[in-house]
Amino acid sequence: MNGGPRLFSILRQGPYLIASIHTALDDSQLVRFQQDLVERIGSDRARGVVIDVAALDVLDSFASRTLRDIGEMARLRGAVTVIVGIQPDVAFAMVELGMDTGRVVTALDLEEGLAELDTYAAAPPAPRR
Amino acid sequence: MRSAGPEGAAGRTVSRMAAVEPAATPGGDRGSADVAALIPLVRRIVASRVPDPATADDLVQETLTRVLAAAGRVEPGMLEPYAIVTARNVVTSMWRDQDRQRRHQHRVVDLRPSEAPDEGVLAREDRAAVSEALTRLSDRERATLLAHEVAGQDTRSLAAELGSTAGAVAAQLNRTRARLRVEYLLVSERVEPPTERCRPVLLAISSGDRRRQREVDAARHLLECDLCARLSEPLVGRGRSRDDAVRVAVRVDADVVAARQAAREIATRLGFSATDVTLIATAVSEIARNIVRFADSGEVVVTELHEPRTGISFVARDAGPGIPDVDQALQDGYSTYRGLGLGLPGARRLMDEFAVVSETGRGTTVTMTKWRGEA
Ligand SMILES: [Zn+2]
Repeated sequence: MNGGPRLFSILRQGPYLIASIHTALDDSQLVRFQQDLVERIGSDRARGVVIDVAALDVLDSFASRTLRDIGEMARLRGAVTVIVGIQPDVAFAMVELGMDTGRVVTALDLEEGLAELDTYAAAPPAPRR
Repeated sequence: MRSAGPEGAAGRTVSRMAAVEPAATPGGDRGSADVAALIPLVRRIVASRVPDPATADDLVQETLTRVLAAAGRVEPGMLEPYAIVTARNVVTSMWRDQDRQRRHQHRVVDLRPSEAPDEGVLAREDRAAVSEALTRLSDRERATLLAHEVAGQDTRSLAAELGSTAGAVAAQLNRTRARLRVEYLLVSERVEPPTERCRPVLLAISSGDRRRQREVDAARHLLECDLCARLSEPLVGRGRSRDDAVRVAVRVDADVVAARQAAREIATRLGFSATDVTLIATAVSEIARNIVRFADSGEVVVTELHEPRTGISFVARDAGPGIPDVDQALQDGYSTYRGLGLGLPGARRLMDEFAVVSETGRGTTVTMTKWRGEA
């Protein structure tokens, strides 16, 4: 965030936050992303978050766990998380690796992700899908 | 646990464990299946030389790990002799000062005397060995090699002087280097080859010329000749172009990304499918992360494989504390590596071949390979 190209952005859209990752992130950058996003969920009192991970080259064990943790923390703060943009190859590698995104919902793209959040907003979130 | 031999460094106690697993891929995998088939043979060789079963077991594992790491660059028909030679060398090297040997081997590659002050004596010895080896070349070979390596004259201007072509000069330089490596090893070991077949065999191995290796029946000679069996290990694989290997230093988080991107680039160039490229990059991410988390620093070396078919292999090395129980680190499921941050079991599932050697207090080496599917 200090000068260099932005690694990610977090934008507000109504009651939701749209968090986009712009490039491959290393572990410490992922941790900063997690901290910033969870902070924004609180300060913006967001009810839903879409995380766009299309720019991530891999979702290895650390990245998968970080996304899942974000989902859990968001849930504790009353927000639903939807992850969008997981590439088919990346999804396949996650399965082979034995990872998943836990209770975090996934959707194809941003549009679908926002639609997903709307259905949750209409009906209180079910514990799991 | 075993203690090093009586000549080992101050009775150093090491625990060395390795897991070598044949690939579980349904398509079957020739490399590791071949290596698995060698296990009884390797056991027999080691057991006949090492009475202590626990030590023997360690050495068998180490042998298999080395053979597996080399399987991609050893011709299929050479794998068995290679395993025999490796097993014998692993047993022998147990009684030797390994660090010293490693430094020697390293220098065979670049021929530059070390500049580290504490290595002064060794460097002098080494320089003497190189000079002695140089006198064994023909005048013309020596002049050309020195003009190129020392004076920095390029192959094109050498070719003009010699009335030859740049390609022919480059090929001649490679043959000369191969000869120099052989002579250097002979001088360092202060031995003369016992038979007249030895030099041709060593030269064929040193130059990586497989057709020549068959012509001189190198595999058979290595089984019969103790000296060549011993000397051939540092020579195997040296014939390859050094451009085939890419080294990524790993110290900080950003290096993990650099390592997996290097892997991605090379795998893509080798024609791996997009899915395989992602699997490979993910596995590299896991093993590189382990270096950052558990050791101060290390490296990931990426090597292109062209024999017996196209593949990519990785060696991740660190000098960290080592993994106390490799089998457990590999077998435990998600919960353990979540706790310890060990991505090894995951990485293993993504690759065709996977081996870990770890020595408590000395570091960990992970070797893994993926073969390109037949397209
Ligand atoms: Zn011989």
